Amino acid sequence: MKKLVLVIMAFAFGYGFGTVAFAENVPIEGSVESRCLITTSNSGVYGNPLPQKLSTAVVDGGVLPIVRFDISLADAYKAKITTPTAFSSSPALSDSVAWTGSTILGTTSDAGMSGYEAAKVVYDATTEFDLTVAGSTWFKSTSTATYGYDKSFPGGIYSAIVVAECIAK
Amino acid sequence: MKCFGFTVGFVFLLCVANTHAHEMTPTYPKLDTTHVSGVLKTKMKIFNRREDVSYYEIGVFDKDWNAIPFVTSYKVLQMDYLAHAEVDIYINEGDATRSEYICSKSKLRKDDVVSSAIASRICSRIK
Repeated sequence: MKKLVLVIMAFAFGYGFGTVAFAENVPIEGSVESRCLITTSNSGVYGNPLPQKLSTAVVDGGVLPIVRFDISLADAYKAKITTPTAFSSSPALSDSVAWTGSTILGTTSDAGMSGYEAAKVVYDATTEFDLTVAGSTWFKSTSTATYGYDKSFPGGIYSAIVVAECIAK
Repeated sequence: MKCFGFTVGFVFLLCVANTHAHEMTPTYPKLDTTHVSGVLKTKMKIFNRREDVSYYEIGVFDKDWNAIPFVTSYKVLQMDYLAHAEVDIYINEGDATRSEYICSKSKLRKDDVVSSAIASRICSRIK
Protein backbone atom coordinates (compact mmCIF):
# COMPACT_ATOMS: atom_id res chain seq x y z
CA MET A 1 0.00 0.00 0.00
CA LYS A 2 2.82 2.32 0.94
CA LYS A 3 4.53 1.53 -2.35
CA LEU A 4 1.36 2.34 -4.26
CA VAL A 5 1.05 5.70 -2.47
CA LEU A 6 4.68 6.49 -3.20
CA VAL A 7 4.24 5.59 -6.89
CA ILE A 8 1.10 7.76 -7.13
CA MET A 9 2.90 10.64 -5.40
CA ALA A 10 5.89 10.27 -7.69
CA PHE A 11 3.64 10.41 -10.77
CA ALA A 12 1.72 13.34 -9.32
CA PHE A 13 4.86 15.32 -8.58
CA GLY A 14 6.47 14.33 -11.85
CA TYR A 15 3.39 15.27 -13.82
CA GLY A 16 3.02 18.43 -11.82
CA PHE A 17 6.59 19.55 -12.32
CA GLY A 18 6.43 18.49 -15.93
CA THR A 19 3.33 20.54 -16.48
CA VAL A 20 4.93 23.57 -14.87
CA ALA A 21 8.05 23.11 -16.99
CA PHE A 22 6.12 22.75 -20.24
CA ALA A 23 3.79 25.64 -19.45
CA GLU A 24 6.63 28.04 -18.73
CA ASN A 25 6.31 31.12 -20.87
CA VAL A 26 9.34 32.83 -22.30
CA PRO A 27 8.37 36.43 -22.82
CA ILE A 28 10.00 38.40 -25.57
CA GLU A 29 9.91 42.04 -24.76
CA GLY A 30 10.92 45.04 -26.74
CA SER A 31 10.36 48.72 -26.79
CA VAL A 32 10.86 51.54 -29.23
CA GLU A 33 12.26 54.54 -27.43
CA SER A 34 11.99 58.09 -28.59
CA ARG A 35 14.83 58.95 -30.91
CA CYS A 36 15.90 61.20 -33.72
CA LEU A 37 18.03 59.97 -36.57
CA ILE A 38 19.67 62.43 -38.95
CA THR A 39 20.61 60.90 -42.27
CA THR A 40 22.47 62.73 -44.98
CA SER A 41 20.79 61.49 -48.13
CA ASN A 42 22.83 63.75 -50.37
CA SER A 43 25.69 66.04 -49.41
CA GLY A 44 25.17 68.41 -52.35
CA VAL A 45 27.45 69.90 -54.96
CA TYR A 46 27.97 73.49 -56.03
CA GLY A 47 27.44 74.30 -59.68
CA ASN A 48 29.22 77.26 -61.26
CA PRO A 49 26.73 78.70 -63.79
CA LEU A 50 28.38 82.14 -63.83
CA PRO A 51 31.99 83.10 -63.03
CA GLN A 52 30.86 84.94 -59.89
CA LYS A 53 28.24 82.43 -58.74
CA LEU A 54 28.27 79.08 -56.98
CA SER A 55 24.93 77.43 -56.43
CA THR A 56 23.52 74.06 -55.40
CA ALA A 57 20.33 74.71 -57.41
CA VAL A 58 19.67 72.11 -60.08
CA VAL A 59 19.07 74.83 -62.70
CA ASP A 60 22.58 76.12 -61.92
CA GLY A 61 24.13 72.72 -62.46
CA GLY A 62 24.37 71.93 -58.77
CA VAL A 63 23.06 69.12 -56.60
CA LEU A 64 20.82 69.91 -53.63
CA PRO A 65 21.92 68.80 -50.18
CA ILE A 66 19.17 66.54 -48.82
CA VAL A 67 18.87 65.51 -45.20
CA ARG A 68 16.38 63.10 -43.69
CA PHE A 69 15.03 63.20 -40.14
CA ASP A 70 13.54 60.01 -38.70
CA ILE A 71 11.42 60.57 -35.61
CA SER A 72 9.98 57.66 -33.65
CA LEU A 73 7.85 59.77 -31.30
CA ALA A 74 5.54 62.51 -32.49
CA ASP A 75 5.98 66.05 -31.23
CA ALA A 76 9.27 65.36 -29.42
CA TYR A 77 11.77 67.11 -31.70
CA LYS A 78 12.20 70.10 -33.95
CA ALA A 79 14.49 70.20 -36.96
CA LYS A 80 16.78 73.14 -37.59
CA ILE A 81 18.67 73.40 -40.86
CA THR A 82 21.20 76.16 -41.39
CA THR A 83 22.60 76.89 -44.84
CA PRO A 84 26.23 78.07 -45.14
CA THR A 85 27.27 81.68 -44.55
CA ALA A 86 30.95 81.06 -45.22
CA PHE A 87 33.15 78.59 -47.04
CA SER A 88 34.75 75.92 -44.89
CA SER A 89 37.60 75.91 -47.36
CA SER A 90 38.35 77.96 -50.44
CA PRO A 91 41.17 79.68 -52.24
CA ALA A 92 42.18 83.09 -50.85
CA LEU A 93 39.38 85.57 -51.55
CA SER A 94 40.04 89.31 -51.73
CA ASP A 95 36.41 90.43 -51.87
CA SER A 96 33.24 89.70 -49.93
CA VAL A 97 30.86 86.85 -50.67
CA ALA A 98 27.10 87.32 -50.52
CA TRP A 99 25.27 84.22 -49.30
CA THR A 100 21.66 83.23 -49.78
CA GLY A 101 20.05 79.98 -48.80
CA SER A 102 16.74 78.31 -48.17
CA THR A 103 15.36 74.98 -47.03
CA ILE A 104 12.12 73.40 -48.16
CA LEU A 105 10.16 70.30 -47.25
CA GLY A 106 10.86 67.39 -49.58
CA THR A 107 9.40 63.90 -49.46
CA THR A 108 7.46 62.79 -46.40
CA SER A 109 6.43 59.38 -45.08
CA ASP A 110 3.10 60.65 -43.76
CA ALA A 111 0.51 62.92 -45.33
CA GLY A 112 0.18 64.73 -42.02
CA MET A 113 3.64 66.21 -42.52
CA SER A 114 2.53 68.32 -45.47
CA GLY A 115 1.81 71.21 -43.11
CA TYR A 116 5.48 71.49 -42.11
CA GLU A 117 6.29 73.80 -45.03
CA ALA A 118 3.60 76.37 -44.17
CA ALA A 119 4.47 76.25 -40.47
CA LYS A 120 8.25 76.59 -40.85
CA VAL A 121 10.06 79.46 -39.15
CA VAL A 122 12.91 81.18 -40.99
CA TYR A 123 15.51 83.41 -39.36
CA ASP A 124 18.96 84.37 -40.62
CA ALA A 125 20.18 81.33 -42.56
CA THR A 126 18.22 78.90 -40.38
CA THR A 127 14.92 77.20 -41.12
CA GLU A 128 13.08 75.52 -38.27
CA PHE A 129 10.46 72.79 -38.64
CA ASP A 130 8.31 71.44 -35.83
CA LEU A 131 8.30 67.65 -36.22
CA THR A 132 4.80 66.93 -34.95
CA VAL A 133 4.29 63.60 -36.75
CA ALA A 134 6.31 60.40 -36.28
CA GLY A 135 8.07 59.14 -39.38
CA SER A 136 10.61 60.26 -41.95
CA THR A 137 10.93 63.69 -43.49
CA TRP A 138 13.33 64.82 -46.18
CA PHE A 139 14.45 68.44 -46.42
CA LYS A 140 16.19 70.06 -49.39
CA SER A 141 18.46 73.08 -49.05
CA THR A 142 19.63 75.53 -51.64
CA SER A 143 22.78 77.55 -51.12
CA THR A 144 24.13 80.31 -53.35
CA ALA A 145 27.37 82.27 -53.03
CA THR A 146 27.96 85.37 -55.14
CA TYR A 147 31.40 86.88 -55.22
CA GLY A 148 32.11 90.62 -55.05
CA TYR A 149 30.52 92.77 -57.77
CA ASP A 150 30.58 90.69 -60.93
CA LYS A 151 33.98 89.31 -60.02
CA SER A 152 35.01 85.82 -60.96
CA PHE A 153 35.69 83.32 -58.21
CA PRO A 154 39.38 82.40 -58.25
CA GLY A 155 40.03 78.88 -59.46
CA GLY A 156 40.21 76.19 -56.80
CA ILE A 157 38.16 73.93 -54.57
CA TYR A 158 35.28 75.46 -52.64
CA SER A 159 33.40 73.71 -49.87
CA ALA A 160 30.72 74.75 -47.40
CA ILE A 161 28.73 73.02 -44.69
CA VAL A 162 25.01 72.74 -44.07
CA VAL A 163 24.17 72.14 -40.39
CA ALA A 164 21.21 69.86 -39.63
CA GLU A 165 20.07 69.83 -36.00
CA CYS A 166 17.48 67.76 -34.20
CA ILE A 167 16.52 69.43 -30.92
CA ALA A 168 14.37 67.73 -28.29
CA LYS A 169 11.37 69.85 -27.26
CA MET B 1 -3.91 47.89 -40.58
CA LYS B 2 -2.71 51.19 -42.00
CA CYS B 3 -0.93 51.92 -38.73
CA PHE B 4 0.69 48.47 -38.80
CA GLY B 5 1.83 49.07 -42.35
CA PHE B 6 3.31 52.41 -41.38
CA THR B 7 5.09 50.88 -38.35
CA VAL B 8 6.56 48.04 -40.41
CA GLY B 9 7.58 50.49 -43.11
CA PHE B 10 9.15 52.85 -40.59
CA VAL B 11 11.07 50.09 -38.81
CA PHE B 12 12.22 48.78 -42.21
CA LEU B 13 13.32 52.26 -43.14
CA LEU B 14 15.32 52.54 -39.92
CA CYS B 15 16.90 49.16 -40.59
CA VAL B 16 17.93 49.90 -44.17
CA ALA B 17 19.10 53.42 -43.38
CA ASN B 18 22.59 52.11 -42.90
CA THR B 19 24.60 54.96 -44.31
CA HIS B 20 25.31 58.47 -43.17
CA ALA B 21 23.13 58.57 -40.08
CA HIS B 22 23.72 59.98 -36.63
CA GLU B 23 21.73 58.93 -33.60
CA MET B 24 21.74 59.82 -29.90
CA THR B 25 19.48 58.56 -27.13
CA PRO B 26 17.73 59.01 -24.76
CA THR B 27 15.64 61.97 -25.85
CA TYR B 28 14.97 63.00 -22.27
CA PRO B 29 17.91 62.00 -20.02
CA LYS B 30 17.62 62.26 -16.24
CA LEU B 31 20.40 63.32 -13.93
CA ASP B 32 21.09 60.82 -11.16
CA THR B 33 23.14 61.12 -8.02
CA THR B 34 26.66 59.69 -7.91
CA HIS B 35 28.94 58.48 -5.15
CA VAL B 36 30.50 61.94 -5.17
CA SER B 37 28.54 64.51 -3.21
CA GLY B 38 27.30 67.43 -5.31
CA VAL B 39 27.87 65.72 -8.65
CA LEU B 40 25.09 64.40 -10.88
CA LYS B 41 25.45 61.98 -13.73
CA THR B 42 23.65 60.80 -16.83
CA LYS B 43 24.47 58.33 -19.58
CA MET B 44 24.04 59.04 -23.30
CA LYS B 45 24.26 56.56 -26.14
CA ILE B 46 25.60 57.56 -29.53
CA PHE B 47 25.48 55.46 -32.67
CA ASN B 48 27.64 56.43 -35.63
CA ARG B 49 26.18 55.34 -38.92
CA ARG B 50 27.93 58.09 -40.82
CA GLU B 51 30.72 56.63 -42.89
CA ASP B 52 32.04 60.13 -43.51
CA VAL B 53 32.31 61.02 -39.79
CA SER B 54 34.79 59.66 -37.25
CA TYR B 55 34.49 62.24 -34.47
CA TYR B 56 31.61 63.56 -32.38
CA GLU B 57 31.74 66.44 -29.93
CA ILE B 58 29.66 66.42 -26.74
CA GLY B 59 28.29 69.63 -25.25
CA VAL B 60 25.95 70.69 -22.44
CA PHE B 61 23.96 73.92 -22.77
CA ASP B 62 21.43 76.04 -20.91
CA LYS B 63 18.13 77.17 -22.43
CA ASP B 64 19.85 80.10 -24.15
CA TRP B 65 22.53 77.80 -25.62
CA ASN B 66 25.28 79.03 -23.32
CA ALA B 67 27.83 76.30 -22.61
CA ILE B 68 27.61 74.60 -19.20
CA PRO B 69 30.74 73.08 -17.65
CA PHE B 70 30.66 69.29 -17.46
CA VAL B 71 33.04 66.38 -17.20
CA THR B 72 33.26 63.32 -19.42
CA SER B 73 36.01 60.99 -20.54
CA TYR B 74 36.41 62.63 -23.94
CA LYS B 75 34.58 65.72 -25.15
CA VAL B 76 35.49 64.74 -28.69
CA LEU B 77 34.84 61.04 -29.25
CA GLN B 78 36.58 59.03 -31.90
CA MET B 79 33.99 56.64 -33.31
CA ASP B 80 34.35 54.16 -36.10
CA TYR B 81 31.60 53.60 -38.62
CA LEU B 82 28.73 51.62 -37.02
CA ALA B 83 30.26 52.00 -33.56
CA HIS B 84 28.19 52.51 -30.43
CA ALA B 85 29.41 54.64 -27.55
CA GLU B 86 28.03 55.11 -24.05
CA VAL B 87 29.08 58.41 -22.59
CA ASP B 88 28.87 59.25 -18.89
CA ILE B 89 28.35 62.96 -18.34
CA TYR B 90 28.96 64.49 -14.93
CA ILE B 91 27.46 67.87 -14.04
CA ASN B 92 27.93 69.91 -10.91
CA GLU B 93 24.75 70.04 -8.83
CA GLY B 94 24.88 73.82 -8.94
CA ASP B 95 24.86 73.80 -12.75
CA ALA B 96 22.27 71.03 -13.04
CA THR B 97 19.24 73.27 -12.58
CA ARG B 98 20.19 75.44 -15.55
CA SER B 99 21.38 72.57 -17.75
CA GLU B 100 18.84 72.11 -20.52
CA TYR B 101 20.41 70.32 -23.48
CA ILE B 102 23.02 67.61 -24.04
CA CYS B 103 24.19 67.61 -27.65
CA SER B 104 26.41 65.55 -29.89
CA LYS B 105 27.74 67.14 -33.05
CA SER B 106 29.50 65.48 -35.95
CA LYS B 107 32.96 66.84 -36.64
CA LEU B 108 33.80 66.95 -40.31
CA ARG B 109 37.42 66.79 -41.36
CA LYS B 110 38.45 69.44 -43.81
CA ASP B 111 39.90 66.85 -46.18
CA ASP B 112 36.61 64.93 -46.30
CA VAL B 113 34.43 67.89 -47.29
CA VAL B 114 33.98 68.03 -51.04
CA SER B 115 31.93 70.97 -52.34
CA SER B 116 29.02 70.78 -49.86
CA ALA B 117 28.70 68.69 -46.72
CA ILE B 118 26.18 68.25 -43.92
CA ALA B 119 27.09 68.50 -40.24
CA SER B 120 24.58 66.88 -37.91
CA ARG B 121 23.78 67.78 -34.34
CA ILE B 122 21.31 66.00 -32.05
CA CYS B 123 20.30 67.53 -28.74
CA SER B 124 18.49 65.71 -25.94
CA ARG B 125 16.62 67.66 -23.31
CA ILE B 126 17.32 67.09 -19.62
CA LYS B 127 14.17 66.38 -17.64
